[in-house]
Amino acid sequence: MAMVRLEKASKHYGDVVALREVDLSVMEGEFVTLLGPSGSGKTTMLNLIAGMLAPTSGSIHIAGKDMTQVPPNKRGLGMVFQNYALMPHMTIFENIAFPLRVRKMANDEIKKKVAAVLELVHLPHVAGRKPRELSGGQQQRISLARCIVYSPSIILMDEPLGALDKKLREQMQLELKRLHTELKITMLYVTHDQEEALTMSDRIVLLNDGQIEQMGPPDELYFKPRSVFAADFLGDSNMWDVRVESTGAQATAMLPSGHKVLAGSGNFAKAGDKVKAMIRPENITVVREGEDAGRFDNHAEGTAIDSIILGGVIKHYVKLKDDVTITAQELTRSGRRALTPGQMVRLAWRSDDTLLLPLSGKIAA
Amino acid sequence: MAAPEQPVGARFARSAMLLSATAWFGYLFLLLPSFVVIPMSFGNAFEMVFPPRSLSTALFHKFFFESNWMSATWMSFRVAVGATALAIVLGVPAAYSLARGNYPGKKYVTMLLLSPILVPIIVIALGLYFHFASLGITGSELALIFGHAVYTTPFVIVTSMAGLRHVDQNLETAATIMGAGPLYTFFRVTLPLLKPAIFAGGLFAFLMSFDEVVIAYFISKAGSTTLPVKMFSSIQWEISPVLAAVSTFLTVISLIVCLIGAFMQKK
Ligand SMILES: Nc1ncnc2c1ncn2[C@@H]1O[C@H](COP(=O)(O)OP(=O)(O)O)[C@@H](O)[C@H]1O
Ligand SMILES: [Mg+2]
Repeated sequence: MAMVRLEKASKHYGDVVALREVDLSVMEGEFVTLLGPSGSGKTTMLNLIAGMLAPTSGSIHIAGKDMTQVPPNKRGLGMVFQNYALMPHMTIFENIAFPLRVRKMANDEIKKKVAAVLELVHLPHVAGRKPRELSGGQQQRISLARCIVYSPSIILMDEPLGALDKKLREQMQLELKRLHTELKITMLYVTHDQEEALTMSDRIVLLNDGQIEQMGPPDELYFKPRSVFAADFLGDSNMWDVRVESTGAQATAMLPSGHKVLAGSGNFAKAGDKVKAMIRPENITVVREGEDAGRFDNHAEGTAIDSIILGGVIKHYVKLKDDVTITAQELTRSGRRALTPGQMVRLAWRSDDTLLLPLSGKIAA
Repeated sequence: MAAPEQPVGARFARSAMLLSATAWFGYLFLLLPSFVVIPMSFGNAFEMVFPPRSLSTALFHKFFFESNWMSATWMSFRVAVGATALAIVLGVPAAYSLARGNYPGKKYVTMLLLSPILVPIIVIALGLYFHFASLGITGSELALIFGHAVYTTPFVIVTSMAGLRHVDQNLETAATIMGAGPLYTFFRVTLPLLKPAIFAGGLFAFLMSFDEVVIAYFISKAGSTTLPVKMFSSIQWEISPVLAAVSTFLTVISLIVCLIGAFMQKK
């Protein structure tokens, strides 16, 4: 069942269109991430669902009911805020008990539920403390516990890890994932961090300027972006201007220098069109002396500019004859050496990993 | 033209020192007369002189036990408590509406509610006098409470609005999404967090009412009136030495209230 469904939901602020006719469904138990640059309408979308904003047009359904006109306190949702939003004048126990007291639950049951949920977030000993006596990560776990405790139909999270440092953020990502799998909670998660979206989501909804650019499972968005925007926003990419020569099961395109590139189908285009060719750096192989590159159908030769080791991966920058720069990425291994600037390098990649994308707009789904 | 070179910094420091010394002298000149009454209130019961020729608590004895000054003191106290309570009950919800609400004309409502701060107090007093006279309640304690509530409510609104700016709106949003209605959210989330600001505004309102002369003078009747009005009228007939004791008492009350405020602020 769809826990949340937006139907042609729009939000205008005067002349500013924050959200334009968005259709979206979040299924029960799903972890969906709204991803997009700042100002793309992520917060607006959450606030429409939560009921803190009314849509200019369109409707919002929660757990099968039209809730467009229902006030936020009657929607039965949970929300986790970036600044935790724990009540500073209440103990942790009272904070978690808050939604239960609103629901007029008996004291005994409140005690049992709060204890259970504190156990669940691995903080059983902090019930008597005030929020300010906890670290940021602990406070965020409490604010999550405060949602879990009343089993809302969906938990909305607006950049909940944005205030934490990198290490803690990664820890909390795993923790959130664990809770999601254990409790089968439906979650709608907002972030502008593509790595976070890729690690955590069942499905990513990529927003661009108030519209859904593309949605799908992380690997689909990463490996099959349908627009330059999507390819750029998720991960690194080599992006070249090419001219289409032929399309079909396999497309052929030409770099300005005349170098031919074989690509996956480019059915949206026709011969002569100017398009972009996109290849992920990890799909480009540096062919070493004596290696057989027969399994690749694209080859190029260039001069090494530089190599940079980034912990687990090494990036090579290579310049082709016609001033096109290629980034190739390999896993760092003890045998693999950096390239000497100026040395000749052979590169190879597969046509299946080469995507043709329209200069503007996106390929129809 | 060969004046000795002086570093600009030193010249600046010297004139700054001169300036602050002048300011301090000015303050002392203005403040000292107020403090002179304190030693005077410990003089003997028949004359007001500085320095007092003999020390005693006779004037305080007279103030507390042998005169009708105490009834005025209690009246001031009751009026100040009543006016403060009324100002809080009216001012805090008004401040909440002004700080959180979003409706057309809010700017003008704000100006209207805060206008008693801008209108000269004598004009307010005159207006209240005519209004209460037409209602037939001039001279009653209730009229004084209403009058002082008009005077103090804007200050409670201002302090509460300042306090509300420090109450994170996300907390109210969080409570709402968790299912709490507007009243539940107000009483369980906003109000507890606003308490220090309300307390400060309340103390301020109490002091303002306790000290107030003009409004009280216009709308109270001769026999039963507040302490400051009684002081003011008594000084017109005879300068009773008890006035020194009353002044000291008022100063001490103000000081205590301020100290309570400062103490609560720290906590
Ligand atoms: N209260 C508002 N008034 C006017 N414009 C707003 C308001 N809130 C958001 N916007 C605009 O709507 C767009 C989307 O904002 P938002 O949903 O906050 O984006 P995000 O959360 O993705 O950063 C932005 O262009 C923003 O400037
Ligand atoms: Mg946002």
